[in-house]
This record gives sequence, structure tokens and C-alpha cells, in this order.
Amino acid sequence: MAEPQSSAIATGPDPRGVRRARIEAARAELSAASERGDGGRQALKQYSHRMDAIVQQLFAEAGPLTQPVGVFALGGYGRRQLCLHSDIDLLVLFGGPIGSEDERFLHSFLNPIWDLGLTIGHHVREVQEGSNLAEDNPEFLLALTDARIVAGDATLLDEFTGATERTRMRKRTLDALRALIVERHARFNDTLYQLEPDVKEAPGGLRDLLGAQTIAKVTDPALLGQGGSGLRALDEAEEFLLRVRSILHLEAKRHHNMLSHELQERAAARLGFPGSTPRQQVERLMSDYFRHARAIDRSLRWALKAAPTPIGRNLVRSGDEIRFVDLRKAADQPETWLAAFQAALDGGCGVSDEVLACIQQHAGRFAPQDFFPSKTHRDALLALLKPRPGLYARLSEMHDYGMLGQMLPEFKAISCRVVRDFYHKYTVDEHTLLTIRNLERLLEAGPERERFGRLLNELEAPELLVLALLFHDVGKWRDDNHHVESARMARQMFERLQLDDHARGVVEFLVVEHLRMSVAAFRRDTEDPEVVRQFSELVGVEERLKMLCLMTLADVEAVSLETLTPWREDLLWRLYVDTYNHLTLSYGDEVIDPGQPAASALITDLIKQRPPDLSAKEIEAFLQGLPRRYLQLFSGDAVYSHVRRSRGLGPGAIQTWVERKDAEWELTVITRDQPFLFSNISGVLSSFGMDILRGFAFTKLDGLVVDMFHFSDQERFLEMNKGGDAQLIKVLEDVIRGKTDLAVRLKGREEGAFRRRLPGFAPVVHCDNESSRRFTIVEIVAENALGLLYRMSRAMSESGCEVDLVLIATEGQRAIDVFHLTRQGAKLSPEQQVELTTNLQRVLEGRP
Amino acid sequence: MKLVKAIVRPNKVDDVKNALEKIQISGMTVTEVRGHGKQKGHTAIYRGQEYNVSLLPKMEIEVVLPDSIVDDAVKAIIGAARTGEIGDGRIFVIPVGESYRIRTGEKEVF
Repeated sequence: MAEPQSSAIATGPDPRGVRRARIEAARAELSAASERGDGGRQALKQYSHRMDAIVQQLFAEAGPLTQPVGVFALGGYGRRQLCLHSDIDLLVLFGGPIGSEDERFLHSFLNPIWDLGLTIGHHVREVQEGSNLAEDNPEFLLALTDARIVAGDATLLDEFTGATERTRMRKRTLDALRALIVERHARFNDTLYQLEPDVKEAPGGLRDLLGAQTIAKVTDPALLGQGGSGLRALDEAEEFLLRVRSILHLEAKRHHNMLSHELQERAAARLGFPGSTPRQQVERLMSDYFRHARAIDRSLRWALKAAPTPIGRNLVRSGDEIRFVDLRKAADQPETWLAAFQAALDGGCGVSDEVLACIQQHAGRFAPQDFFPSKTHRDALLALLKPRPGLYARLSEMHDYGMLGQMLPEFKAISCRVVRDFYHKYTVDEHTLLTIRNLERLLEAGPERERFGRLLNELEAPELLVLALLFHDVGKWRDDNHHVESARMARQMFERLQLDDHARGVVEFLVVEHLRMSVAAFRRDTEDPEVVRQFSELVGVEERLKMLCLMTLADVEAVSLETLTPWREDLLWRLYVDTYNHLTLSYGDEVIDPGQPAASALITDLIKQRPPDLSAKEIEAFLQGLPRRYLQLFSGDAVYSHVRRSRGLGPGAIQTWVERKDAEWELTVITRDQPFLFSNISGVLSSFGMDILRGFAFTKLDGLVVDMFHFSDQERFLEMNKGGDAQLIKVLEDVIRGKTDLAVRLKGREEGAFRRRLPGFAPVVHCDNESSRRFTIVEIVAENALGLLYRMSRAMSESGCEVDLVLIATEGQRAIDVFHLTRQGAKLSPEQQVELTTNLQRVLEGRP
Repeated sequence: MKLVKAIVRPNKVDDVKNALEKIQISGMTVTEVRGHGKQKGHTAIYRGQEYNVSLLPKMEIEVVLPDSIVDDAVKAIIGAARTGEIGDGRIFVIPVGESYRIRTGEKEVF
């Protein structure tokens, strides 16, 4: 492309004069084209190109750079549709923080543009500001959709926009665009039939065309070819409007876009509309104008209606389907496929046929690790497996189209596998998927299944149950001992997915033991306490019991339509309740005695694998007298940590620490027992606004206490305050040592909590002197509220009770707490139970 | 001929079936039932709340036998189903007057 000749270049070296000559030459070139009625796309592109050269020259002359800088054209300039008197919109991006040298550079760069008489709109940003881009000014986001490099470092734009969450940014851009269109149309009374239209702003004008193009660019580049007026009509409309606009700028000698009656005549003449009179020419011009405006309007309406919603990288929702924007790109990125199914589950819709066809065509090219290149992708699989309506349907699609088997080759081994027995009516793969359907149906179960549905809602990690269900029968590719083979195959998957120890433990337990509960419930005498005791020993803790119960229910039901009868459900539920009661009410009697055969295997392992700084004797001494469920609750590393922290812990000494556990927090306290200890700990957490979700307190006969609380920090105190955990621990220690009055700290919060409390269900307080040899057990089910645990445990301590063991659980809005109490070392008498129950009811009802 | 109807604990069905097979009795009908006798159900507690389990799951085994082997069958059932605890179940022996084969309509009078 040749530069127009300029006399200034030839006559002198003054850079300002050279620049002015260049801009005047460029303007003259565009003006000439506009006069001929030829100021359309090509002429504007040429003018934009001339402007680029000037900007590049100014950038080069602005002085040395201390860091990477990029200058990007935005808006109409970015689209290379710069008109004669348009603003020149620029984005100047700095790679790092902007210092004084950079400011000097900016002055040197921008001032000459002003001197040239150009109107510039400039944004100056640092790349790191891009992380918050999704929250930026919506008009800036819109301008960014046309950004292109003019001078400097081109990569900075990708860095700038890449740091933010693209889907959110796209969605916000679209929302902003829709709002701006509505607002702009309202200014024109929502009609395109204006006698003196603004060719840029009016309905059917250039902004509407740009709006339709932007919607397509952000959602689906093929959109405008699929409906509305079609690409050709839009192309013609754009060319026409740009030519008219160029004439308007030329005639008005300023940024003017209104096609007034006077300018209509001049435009009609310049554009060569036929007619013997100016009026006839104008009529033809305006007839063409309205034809093009209607075409734009139709396409914009189509785009607004049919535009898919961006929901993820290369993913959109279109109608009731999820699809890839760019199928070719998706075909080579198997790690993105899971997101399509996740989006379908989230949106309660399906995955499009073209996505499924793409997966079917390409799945065979990939190895399992290609689906999970990072932790984010591995976590995404677990997130997908959370039971909810639609999970069976999506997993079935993944299986039918070859993705599930490529991703989890163990599952492929049972594809269409037929195992003939008296009961099963479906192939092994379908039986497996049906177990997951049965599980998801529990979430919407009627009254007859509500009890099981509630268990499912209570699970902390229901996705692990689904993962276990997926693997429980994979061993059936062989004919014998399928649960052993299934577990072996599951361990392969653990390695690939890099599951943590807890998840591995849970899934392997469920896979190996998945037949045990049906055997116990349907073939053993569950009225025999020994059967329940043995089963309790197998599951160990309530979470595993709930999972195994649900797994059994789902598994039996998936055998055939007739297998799971209400009668069997009753048997299963009875075993669940009896085992649950055993686990929560009788565990206090089952304490660790390293000499006992039942405990020896676990303790032997702990001792064998101990770190060098711990002796076997030390570990045994620590464990002696703790409830046996302690060993089920803690990993080896946690036990070793407890042993270390309990070393030489005298009266009054406290070991306390706070750790983050995903979205929750965990407080552990190891100390010596003292009156009101438990209520003080729970009260301090409440005084910081923490919502205690679950936990437990163990007290050994020698007075050593191990308490652990899981809580959510709803006010984000720990997140927002550096050192907040140390502050919490300091308050806790002060309260326990009697230096701080907890009642004063809690007063305001408790009053607020009582004021906000909604009428809920009546609290249940149940005293039990039968289930444990050593303790009176108090079970409390009440509406969860701030400070509830503190008030209950305080009432117990005030009634002279020692709180020896506690299990804390929160299920939805219900707090379910089990306290093991003694009074002066013995169980509570009937009179003492009545007195305590009365006190607790009073506290729970908020009475003084 | 007699109809022997035994109500037993669910976990005892296989034992009863095996005991009857040992004395060459193989045809039988097994049904899941709920009910209570002297056991009268019991009160269970779940999460501090009491609920009454009035109808307990049981299995009903029905077998029609010639009079000559009824006593042996009853002994076999008792031997297999007995735990000595409340809730072991009941056996009823009922006279059968006549029977019909559905396929042929043939009547058999005893």
C-alpha cells in the first residue's frame, strides 16, 4: 500500500510538520473517496492504515521504554472503520506497574496526537488489572471485543484478557450490550423509521449492526449466517451506511451522523441515486436506507433471540442444549469434554448431538491421562459425580459415545458384559449406571423413600459414593471374586486421578464391602446385638454407614424391577438405625486398649509406620483409653501430630491450631479437661461468627482432651484478616484461662441470633441410660443457630455434668448432637435427667 | 393333605428350605410378610426420637404335604428356625379339602 505523496516530507525534517502533512494527506485521500460516494469499507480501512502508521511513528519517537508496552486500537478504529472525524480510541497496556518514566513516555506519545487536532479516547492500564476485567466498565469490555495491536508488544493483550474468567467476561459483555441496545433504541422511540435518522445510533444503524456482529463474535461466529437477513444483506447494509456516514462527516466537517433532510439531498447526489429532481433522488436514497436498516434490525433481533449463552471456554448453551462453539478445536481437547456434561447437569439440559458425535468420532484417539491433564480437570470429574437429576442420563451418554470407557478404561471392561445369574436382568454396565439413577432419584423421592433421600443429602462427599458405584462391579469382567478385582481396578484409577488418602479409603471400602450390608440385613438376624456390633465395627463411622446403606439400596434396586421390595427396604433401614445407634451411643464403651486383639492391627500399623521422633510406647500411651472410633477418624499423620502435641501437656497447658479444609476450617484443641471446657471452645467459635458444622470431643480417663470442630467462616474473618487464626486462638486461650469473659463477647451476637430466628421445628432432647455402660447419653436435635452448641453444653456444665464425649453434626438446618455425660463420675439419676432435660428445653427455646 | 404355613425370621428361610429339602420336600411358596405375634413390635429410637416398629418383617413359607410327613416337616422347620428368643415365629397346620391343577382343570380330592 503506497503512502500518498506529501510535500512536508520532502521540504523539511520537522517531525511535527511531517506528521501533520501525513495526517492531512490521509484525510484528503478519504475526503476524495467520500466526495465520490466511495467512502465505504475499503476507504476507511485505508484511512485506518494511514492512522496506524502515524501512531506507530509516534510510539517509536516517544522515547525509551522501561518495560513492555502495547498500543491497541479499540472500537471503530479497531475494526478499521475509522471515519474522517471519528475519535481515535486507544488502549495503552503496560506489562508492569506504571512508574514516572512510563508517565513521561505516555506524555511524549499522546500529546503529539492532540497536537495533530485528532480526538483521542485513551485507556491506560497495567496488565495485572486484567484479573479484574470481568468487573470492568461494560462499555470498555465492549470496546475490547474489537481490540487489535497497532504498536509495541502484541502479547500484552492476551495477558491482559487471559487473566480474567473469560466466560464471565463474555456474559457481562453481552449483558451490557443488551442493556445498551435497549437504552439506545428507547432514545429513538424504538423505531427505525426516522425521517432524519442517525446512521450510527438509530435502530437499524451501524451500532445495531455492530451489536449483532459482537453477539456473534462472543457467542457463535456462525450465528448471523444461520438466520436474520443473512450475511450478504448485512454486508451490503454495512457498505451503504459507511458510505453515507463518510459523506455526513465530509459535509458537516465534524463528527456528525444524522442524515438530516439537507444532508439527504447531498448524500443522494454524491451516491449517484437516479432521479430528475433532488426529491426523487432522496426518496430513492431513503428507500435504500430503510431497506438496509430493516435488514440490520432483523439480524439484530435474530442474534438477540438465538444467541447461545456463553457458559465456559468454547462452550455455549443454545436452547435446551450444550454445544461447543468450535467443534474442531474441541475435537483435539478431550480435557474440555467433561465441562459440556457438567454444564448440561448444571443447566438441567442435554448435550447436543453434534457434541456427542464429535466425542464418538474422536474419543478413541485419547488415553485416560489426556482427559485429566491437571488437578482442576481431576477435581472436575468428582464435581460431575455429585448425585443430582440428570447424572444417569449424562453418564449414559458418556458411556454410549465412548468417552467414559476411554476416560476410565476399567469401566470399558464391563461394557455390555453379560453375567448370567438368577437375579440380574441387565448387562453389568447398565446395572452400574442404574445404581446411579436410583441414587439420583432419592433426591426427589416421595414420602416412602424420604428417609433414604435424607441420608443422601447428609453425605459430606456424595461424589465418592457415585465413584464407588461406578467401580463396584468392574471386576465382573472376570468370573470370580468380583469385589476383590473391582478394588484392584479402582486402585489403578486412584493413581490416575491422584485421589487423596481419605477419598481412596472411602471408595475402596465401599467397593470391597458393597455386598456386606445386604448380607447382614437380609440374611442375618439383625435383632442379634452381636450382628449389629460386628457390622458397626465394619463401617466404623456414620458417614461410611450412610454410604454403604445407600449403595446397598441403589445396588439391589438396579438388579431388576422386582428385587427391592418395601419389605427389604425396611430390613435395610432397621439395620441402618441399629448400627447408627450403636456407633453414636455405644462407642464410649469401646475404648482403645493396645493389648486387645481387635485394636492391635491398626495400632501395629501405626507403630510400624511411625516417624523416628516417636516411640512405640509414646503412641500406645496416647491411644490408651481413647474411643476406638478415634482410629477411624484420623489418618496416621494426624495421630502422630496429636501424640507430639500432647507430650508433657500439664494442667492449664493448651495446644490449639486452625487449618483450612477446602471451604471449611478445622480447629483442634488438645488439653487437660476442666469445667466448661467444651462450652468455652464452642462459645469462642460462635463469638467470631463461626458456624460449627460437625466435630467431636474425646476425653480420656486420664483427663486428656482431644476436640475437633469443623466450621464455616461465614463472615470470612479468617480469610480477610491475616493472623486471624492467631487472634482466634489467643481469645480461646484467654477464655479457657479465665482472662476473658465469654458471655460479654457473645452477648450482642446471641441477641441478634435470637431476633433473627425463624419459627422452626420443636427441639428434641432424649436422655438414654441404657446404651452405654459408663455414660448417660443425651441426643439433641434442634434447629441450628449461632451459639447453640455453646448454650447447650453450658447448660450441661451448669447442671454439674461432665461433658466427656460429644459428636456434633449439622444436616441442613438441623443440628444433631450427641453428648456422653457423667455427674461426679457416674451416670445421671432419673431425677437429674429430668432436671437436665428441663434446662436444655429452656435453653433451646430461648427462655431465660 | 395339610397346608403347613410357617412364619419365620427372614434370615432363617434358607435354613428352613435346606431342612425341608433334606426330608425330600422341595415345592414351597415363600412370601415376604409383616406382622407381629407376642413380640408385638418394639420402640426404636433414631436421633432422639422414638418411633414404634409395630409390624416386623417376617417370611412366610407355605407347603402342602401328605399327612404322613407333616410331623417331620414341622420338626424340621422348628429345628431350623428356632433361636430360643421371642420372635422366632409360628407354624400353622391346616387341613386341605381339595385342589385343582390350573393347567388341566383336574380336581384332586383328599
